[in-house]
Amino acid sequence: MVAQRINHKWGMVVDLDRCTGCQACVVACQAENNIPINVKSFYQQRRAYQWIRIERYWEGEFPNVKARFIPILCQHCENAPCEPVCPVFATYHNDEGMNVQIYNRCIGTRYCSVNCPYSVRMFNYWEPQWPDRLRNQLNPDVTIRTRGIMEKCSFCVQRLRRGEVNVERRGIEPLTGESIPPADRKLDQRRMKEGNYLPACVQSCPTNALQFADQHDDTSPVKEYFDEANEQIETREHGGHVDESHTRVYRLLEEIGTKPNVVYLKKVDAFPLEKA
Amino acid sequence: MMPSRKMLPLMVAGGVVTVIMGFVVIVLLISWFSNPPFGLGNAPTQPVAFPHTVHVAENNIQCEFCHRNVTKGAAATVPAVETCLFCHKDIDGRTVTAQTEIEKVRTAFETDTPIDWERVHRLPDHVRFIHESHIRYFTDETIPVKYGINGEEIIESPDVAQTCTICHGDVGNKTVVQPKTGQSLKMGTCVDCHRVNNIPTDCTICHK
Repeated sequence: MVAQRINHKWGMVVDLDRCTGCQACVVACQAENNIPINVKSFYQQRRAYQWIRIERYWEGEFPNVKARFIPILCQHCENAPCEPVCPVFATYHNDEGMNVQIYNRCIGTRYCSVNCPYSVRMFNYWEPQWPDRLRNQLNPDVTIRTRGIMEKCSFCVQRLRRGEVNVERRGIEPLTGESIPPADRKLDQRRMKEGNYLPACVQSCPTNALQFADQHDDTSPVKEYFDEANEQIETREHGGHVDESHTRVYRLLEEIGTKPNVVYLKKVDAFPLEKA
Repeated sequence: MMPSRKMLPLMVAGGVVTVIMGFVVIVLLISWFSNPPFGLGNAPTQPVAFPHTVHVAENNIQCEFCHRNVTKGAAATVPAVETCLFCHKDIDGRTVTAQTEIEKVRTAFETDTPIDWERVHRLPDHVRFIHESHIRYFTDETIPVKYGINGEEIIESPDVAQTCTICHGDVGNKTVVQPKTGQSLKMGTCVDCHRVNNIPTDCTICHK
């Protein structure tokens, strides 16, 4: 039985009001995607591998100071600046709204990383290495990237494929675990969602600051944010003005027209800093 | 006519260049023709000379009886020694060679040492091939017309063993399993088959 495929458009919502900067997503990503262990010298050379990173900003002056955190991952832009510059088409946009990096096509020109306004593309400057006892925990579903190629967040596409197998073959209803009758095993929005397909960072987030959904899924709790963000893009494209004072929805570096698929929600400050 | 003194170094250089170019051409030819469809792929020597002919062709053991995981997961898996002993605790073999080989299996079982089978078909590390979904597709009776790996029509749904032969060739009639005898198992083979069967060819289906 080949299940009918539906064109998804995956997206993530990052609620900065909930993010505590705990770095659980960073660790989860590291473990899921076979990312080499970052050592001190990597950071000193600014060559650390982090598919998702938490940027920290300070607001105010001591002692009247607040920490702000922004998790930054590949934004899976609709108009991705990294895609047209690749000479070998190693990075492209697929039907599911993902910006995909194909490792075996990549020849390591690093144009994409230069052109990425979010600095989320990591270049393998070295052969990846793990301590011997950690080699056994590598994820068998994910390719180990060798020296000289580019890598980046894939929205955990290996989990998506595994979820498809779970629905198609095993017929497991996500969350409830009930069995789906064979004729009903479609890879639609109802099946391909939480409980079946979640990126590792989203799954590990203790405060649900990261939320993941199909943007076409009407039942998803974050549908309104996607809709609002898409509306904002539409308005801007037609030269309209977007009033951002009443909404928390924004996207990173929206003004350069990359149309990211990752939506950020502004922090609501209950106790704003007293301005001097 | 003897070459002049000036010509001599040029001729030596020319000779050297010819030798190097010839070497390169020979290397390229060997690497090209050693791959299918010409096929010089040699079978690796296995620790136990296992004949598929006796097991499959003569005794009709199904593929998935030993390669248990092939209808369940990504890897087909080679059987554990216990699986061999399932029959071979009683069956001794007809010839002397067969008896010595079976004795190796029994020793492995008694000493708790797994048999170190050599891998025959090895895909590159950046490919994720799932046996289970391919077998599920070809054995599915609800799909009216399927196409084999060379574009031939498959109208009746094959059973699991027939599905295996689509890519692996007729392993059941071989004493040694040679790599790539059924198909080259290159990416072109995969993509061609996905195309004719109207299966997605997005890169992330196999590469992730």
